[in-house]
Amino acid sequence: MSDVYVGEIGLRPATEADLGAIMAVEHECFSGDAWSEANMHLELMAHHTFYWVATAQLDEGAERVVAYAGLSKVSGSEQADVQTIAVASKFRGRGLGRRLMNRLIAEARRREATDMFLEVRADNPVAQNLYVSLGFEAIDRRRGYYQPDGVDAIVMRAQLEPINKQPVVLGIESSCDETGVGIVRGTTLLANVISSSMQEHARFGGVVPEIAARAHLEALQPTIHAALAEAGLTFADIDAVAVTNGPGLAGAVMVGVGAAKALAAALDKPIYAVNHLVGHVGVDILERGELQTPTIALLVSGGHTSLLLVNNLLDDVRLLGETIDDAAGEAFDKIARIMGLQYPGGPEIDRVAKNGDPKAVRFPRGLTLPKDMAKHRYDFSFSGLKTAVARHIEVTENTQQAALTDQQTADIAASFREAVVDVLIGKAVAACLDHNVPRLLLGGGVIANARLRQVAAERCAAAGIELRVPAFKLCTDNGAMIAALGAQLMIDGRPASSLNFGVDSTLPVTTVQS
Amino acid sequence: MLCIDTSSGTSISILRGDEILAEVNEANAMLHAETIGTAIAQALKAAKLKGSDVQAVAVGRGPAPFTGLRVGIAAGAVFAQAVGARLLGVVSLDALAWSALQNPLTLAAVSPSSPLLITADARRSEVYWALYTGLSANGLPKRTDLPAVNKPAVLEEILVDRNTEVVRADVSSAPIATALGRVAQAMLAEGEPIDDVSALYLRAPDAVLPKPHARFGKAEYSKPVIGDQGGNAPQGASSQGGAK
Repeated sequence: MSDVYVGEIGLRPATEADLGAIMAVEHECFSGDAWSEANMHLELMAHHTFYWVATAQLDEGAERVVAYAGLSKVSGSEQADVQTIAVASKFRGRGLGRRLMNRLIAEARRREATDMFLEVRADNPVAQNLYVSLGFEAIDRRRGYYQPDGVDAIVMRAQLEPINKQPVVLGIESSCDETGVGIVRGTTLLANVISSSMQEHARFGGVVPEIAARAHLEALQPTIHAALAEAGLTFADIDAVAVTNGPGLAGAVMVGVGAAKALAAALDKPIYAVNHLVGHVGVDILERGELQTPTIALLVSGGHTSLLLVNNLLDDVRLLGETIDDAAGEAFDKIARIMGLQYPGGPEIDRVAKNGDPKAVRFPRGLTLPKDMAKHRYDFSFSGLKTAVARHIEVTENTQQAALTDQQTADIAASFREAVVDVLIGKAVAACLDHNVPRLLLGGGVIANARLRQVAAERCAAAGIELRVPAFKLCTDNGAMIAALGAQLMIDGRPASSLNFGVDSTLPVTTVQS
Repeated sequence: MLCIDTSSGTSISILRGDEILAEVNEANAMLHAETIGTAIAQALKAAKLKGSDVQAVAVGRGPAPFTGLRVGIAAGAVFAQAVGARLLGVVSLDALAWSALQNPLTLAAVSPSSPLLITADARRSEVYWALYTGLSANGLPKRTDLPAVNKPAVLEEILVDRNTEVVRADVSSAPIATALGRVAQAMLAEGEPIDDVSALYLRAPDAVLPKPHARFGKAEYSKPVIGDQGGNAPQGASSQGGAK
């Protein structure tokens, strides 16, 4: 396994075609007592077994199986058994075992098992600790179970809670300048209340993390109160709490996390720590009842510009590309400031650009030249564009020895906006075509930009891609998307997060739940 | 009464009258967000209580480094909201003073002319500080003034200027939630205002106003007002009010 791996590791159900790849990992992990290929084949194909594989991407686009796990659950029985779990040595220590085990637990719960059993080598404390942290306890010991080594097996059992199919989840979002509290029942939106500190940041021309964090502390209680009132519920009705634990401004995220943990402890309810960006993707469920996959997702806000490939909302979200400098929303803010417009820049640029000609000035499209596309096919860069606009204004004014006319201002705003939109939608559509994915989902505050939605609609229609644009109140940062993702995890049988999870300002999209 | 203080580490305590039902302390001052949930849950479990058994939640308002401080106040405020408990705010330095003044020798040495100096690390080579002249009849530390933040050398100059010989006590490492609860009880007994749980930041947010962009013949981008950016305002950013 000396190949170069790129991107992130996803999980998917195993197929018969994975047999050879699974056997390669099996031989690496269990050289002395590996299953035969024939036995593994029977395992994969049996009606009562459920196997998953973790796959890493090779740089030429192919994928390779690097871990797998299997569950046995006979229909009608209340017992589920972990058949096997293996992670290739090179891919250990990055949480794959835990992800696969959570997948098996979820599967067992979905299939209405009440008890789940496994055997683990007595000389493998790392694995035992993992299982204990997942709710397993040792109940028996089998002498000399593992041959030829003669190592004992520890038998462990976890008791599984039945799944609540319509959980009421309260979600808290505080990763940037919006304090969002949302409440859902299953896939139904009950409340979505947002308190924004945007105006407090206006004079600074961008979000000031400390101001945002202070505002979250002020806003939490009233926002929670308003959300419960909107939903017509009391705290007693809440089945679980969900909260953003990243990515975002660490100090801001921590306010929401502190509140959410206290809420879970006060109510003695489970807590789900979820990924903010995956929340933006999952929000579509609140409008359509489900997320159609695979889909490409373009998330554009003042803090993020990310292009994702979503094969499965809970297990397989991959980052295709992101901005290597400013977020798109930041670029709008900065250009607005250069043009003497107010913060936030997006709506202002939109307003000024209304009577402008988008083709008046050909501003550069970042990372679209062939040499850039080789390395940054799905990445974005807006800093060069920002410099080009500033330079264009300076040269124009110096040449004419006068300030920009209103028409010039309108043309520059329209041309700048066109350059941003062109790159964003161009790369998103390319991602759809490259990956043969006929769907594009938009998310993030910049989606409010009218021209962006218009160009997205035109180009998607031309390319035969279905475009999904959630309602604006669900596009911008909000607690409802966090609640919705938490509810999906619950409905899928995922165990709750442990109360001691941390905050990760750069949480990767592959970590849907912490 | 559930007591939560995150002014240094994460300190949780549950009191019933004079009785201490549970204490949980994590000294690490970088793990507030990680620790707060398990610490509260552990304390409830040790006290054999449900969240709904809690009738009052006292939170430490600092002054303290902001990020951790907010975790404790947010947790306490939302816990109280969830179970319908009364929310109480206590100056964390008062809890440190209460601890120091439990030592009879310290208490005897302190007087209006030689007050107790309590300091806490404010990072950036500064300390939060306040002076105390003793305990009230109800056991409440008598603070002379609002807490402030200064460089240690400046603090010494202030004390020299005031011609004040202070009593010093090292309480910096003591877990303080129980002391915080004792101060809250004393404040309630005394009828002191206790409903303000706003964080005592004592410093304005670090934020640089952008320079107006130089544009031809225009003084565009209206000059921002910088009224409340005045550094050591005693209550921190006054427009921020506090979690209500």
